[in-house]
Amino acid sequence: MTTENTTATAEQPESPEPPESKPSFARLFGRYLIEANSVMVTVYSLLLAFAIGAVLLIVSDEQVRSSYGYFFARPSDALGGSWNLIYSSYMDLFQGAILNFNTLERFQAGNADFGDLLRPLSETLTNATPLIFTGLAVGLAFRAGLFNIGAQGQMIFGMLGALVIGFSLNVPAIVHIPLAILAGAVAGGLFGAVPGVLKATTGAHEVISSIMLNNIAALFLVWALSTKFIHSETRSELVSKPVRDSAELPALLGWLNPSLRVNLAIVVGVAVAVGVWWLLTKSTFGYRIRAVGFNGPASATAGMSVGRTYATTMGAAGALAGLAGAALALGTGSGGVNTATVLEYGFDGITVALLGRANPAGIVVSALLFGALKAGALSAQPDVPVDISTLLQATIVLFIAAPALVKAILRLRTPRGGLVTLEAKGW
Amino acid sequence: MAVDTATAPALLDESAVARKPIHGWSLAVLGALMTVGALTQLGGREVLFRLDQTSPGAEWALPASFAVAVLGVLTALGGALMVYGIQRRFHKTVLAVAVTCFALGLLLWAMSPEGVVFRVEAILAGALFLSMPYIFGALSGVVCERSGVINIGIEGQFLMGAFSGVLVASISGNVYIGIVGAMLAGSLSTLLLALMATKYQVNQVVVGVILNLLALGLTGFMFDQLKKTPGYNVAASVPVLDFGPLAEIPIIGPTLFRQNLFVYVGLALVALVWFLLFRTRWGLRTRSVGEHPAAADAMGVNVNRLRFWNVTAAGLISGFGGAFFTIANSLAFTKNMTAGLGFVALAVMIVGRWNPLGVLAGALIFGFTTQVSRYLDTAGNSIVPGEFLQMLPYAVTIVVVAGLIGRAKAPAADGVPYNPGDK
Repeated sequence: MTTENTTATAEQPESPEPPESKPSFARLFGRYLIEANSVMVTVYSLLLAFAIGAVLLIVSDEQVRSSYGYFFARPSDALGGSWNLIYSSYMDLFQGAILNFNTLERFQAGNADFGDLLRPLSETLTNATPLIFTGLAVGLAFRAGLFNIGAQGQMIFGMLGALVIGFSLNVPAIVHIPLAILAGAVAGGLFGAVPGVLKATTGAHEVISSIMLNNIAALFLVWALSTKFIHSETRSELVSKPVRDSAELPALLGWLNPSLRVNLAIVVGVAVAVGVWWLLTKSTFGYRIRAVGFNGPASATAGMSVGRTYATTMGAAGALAGLAGAALALGTGSGGVNTATVLEYGFDGITVALLGRANPAGIVVSALLFGALKAGALSAQPDVPVDISTLLQATIVLFIAAPALVKAILRLRTPRGGLVTLEAKGW
Repeated sequence: MAVDTATAPALLDESAVARKPIHGWSLAVLGALMTVGALTQLGGREVLFRLDQTSPGAEWALPASFAVAVLGVLTALGGALMVYGIQRRFHKTVLAVAVTCFALGLLLWAMSPEGVVFRVEAILAGALFLSMPYIFGALSGVVCERSGVINIGIEGQFLMGAFSGVLVASISGNVYIGIVGAMLAGSLSTLLLALMATKYQVNQVVVGVILNLLALGLTGFMFDQLKKTPGYNVAASVPVLDFGPLAEIPIIGPTLFRQNLFVYVGLALVALVWFLLFRTRWGLRTRSVGEHPAAADAMGVNVNRLRFWNVTAAGLISGFGGAFFTIANSLAFTKNMTAGLGFVALAVMIVGRWNPLGVLAGALIFGFTTQVSRYLDTAGNSIVPGEFLQMLPYAVTIVVVAGLIGRAKAPAADGVPYNPGDK
């Protein structure tokens, strides 16, 4: 079960207050800031996570750490060194994700074009694209009370499906692209349905079966890339054939600068997010998902098939993760995919969905945020370890999942209606 | 696992004759296929058994087609019995025998190609060694879940232990201090889980998965940071204990009496956790807290405090298991080196039905599977691609968790936060 157990109560009509003591806007805003409501918990989670990241940066840096050895003799060394380290590390992340100040200077001097200036943003969007899909894959399952941590494997199968259609068919782009994307969704969906079917028929917990399928998919990818059918004809390393030009997703800003990688997939991603929102809130299937997630036995009593809902929801979630794979195979990896193409987008989908609180709009926003983090970390390595993005993401969602902890650390007030938490079922 | 609502058969007459057509037919078909395959494909091939550690030169050859065909017939026979109908109490035995025959047949088949030798002692000793991470992980899971807290973060505790073990051993220059460091790191991870589960009553599955990601990010981050200066990630190892003449006994000698220190600690820990859980006051309280916290509370047990300390202590075991990956294997740390085995350990815990002795049996099966797949992979000449062999432990985990071996029942209050206020 996901969700905002408390939103219903939070929307109750306001309790009547004596008119003469009507608080000012500033007062209300101040009170809002020190309250553990879901917006402020998110904000404070981000701040706390970046603070913890800063501490780890200091602790793990040889030079700065040694300056703490003589802290009392010359505190300026330790404090100044720490500040410089934190500032330069987080600045590297920012410059890799949003705006590079060196490029800005060169642009003002006329040595760089507008496209160069947009490159960090383009990278952020490029990294956010698979995260939107995998985040939706985890989030949709969450609404049915299923914890889908198999997005990584589903994405791998989606990538292989789209790849095979991408290089084997020879049809015009207008047919080829939709077909290849569809193949990715179908491959991911079939693979994703397995844990759902297993849960429905045998009661196997989806967390274990889906993580095992992740490992199996990763090994399958290595094997598949080595087969004659998929392996590149021109290169000897473990890389696939490139997809045909007609299956390649067009770059959105290629006309500005060919190095801007952001492609059509981000548009598809936002459209799919809207589709998932519609599915969840307006369709019968979505109603069933939410009902089963909210109370399985009650929905069974109401005549819904809980098992079938598990299977179809996991299938739909797998299809969403498969779209992430298709976006990789036909977009950034169109020149040939290898084992590194998938990065950890599937696992990051878990943090995206948790930060977005399993809600499509929230997932898109969190995907953009974590996409920025990923783009920043990828461009800032090796000065800053690339795993800082995983570390920060995990820390952020740890606080998001435990609002009581944030409340206790910062001594916030309990909002009316209680704290918002996330739920997933045990054995 | 889902609570099995169909417990009714236990109340039925155990001697009643019953049929299991689906199990029966599938076993019969598999057995028949294996027999036909063995007789047509394996003609003239032999499986070579060799004891090369204690008695060099001792070697037996088994005609492959005959042996596999016999095992196939036995499998089919078991299937036929289940289709025909046997007394209810014999079902499990017949199923186990038939499945074992089928697995043995597959194993002999895989060992039959030219150049592949079944090195009995090396394989058995390796199987016991490789079952250790499952034992440590699953025992940690048993302690947590018997207390009513789901520990899905074993993988993360493994990673923390594997990383910290090498780090502390490198800094201190003493491998045993490294192991203590690994245990404390594992415990730090479960401390967070315990805090979240008891004090803040956060959903334990969600926290567990997040803690896995956190461990992955933290160890990866620190690995890259510390890589910049050498000397923090130096492989260290513990001695192999050799019991002299005992280790010279054929087959069991190298398996039981010439093993890594970790193996003896693991086996001792199985006995110790079993004794503590089922023969001490602490064990009774722990189990009651996991089954019926309100009753335990009424008896004067502080439910959340006991859970907190049990879960924190369980991290010592899984952290120790993490040190297996680096220290027991004499390896330096690499990113994500535990490769999902923490989740396999969770499956072992379910197979072992939350009981240390069951855990031992399950871990041995998984250790054997892992060892055989690795052996065949390196021996080469295999019909199956190496990647598929490596999938074997994961695939077996799915089969096991899917409850094909019978549904297991978790402690009643497993994963349910206890709030003394709302009764």
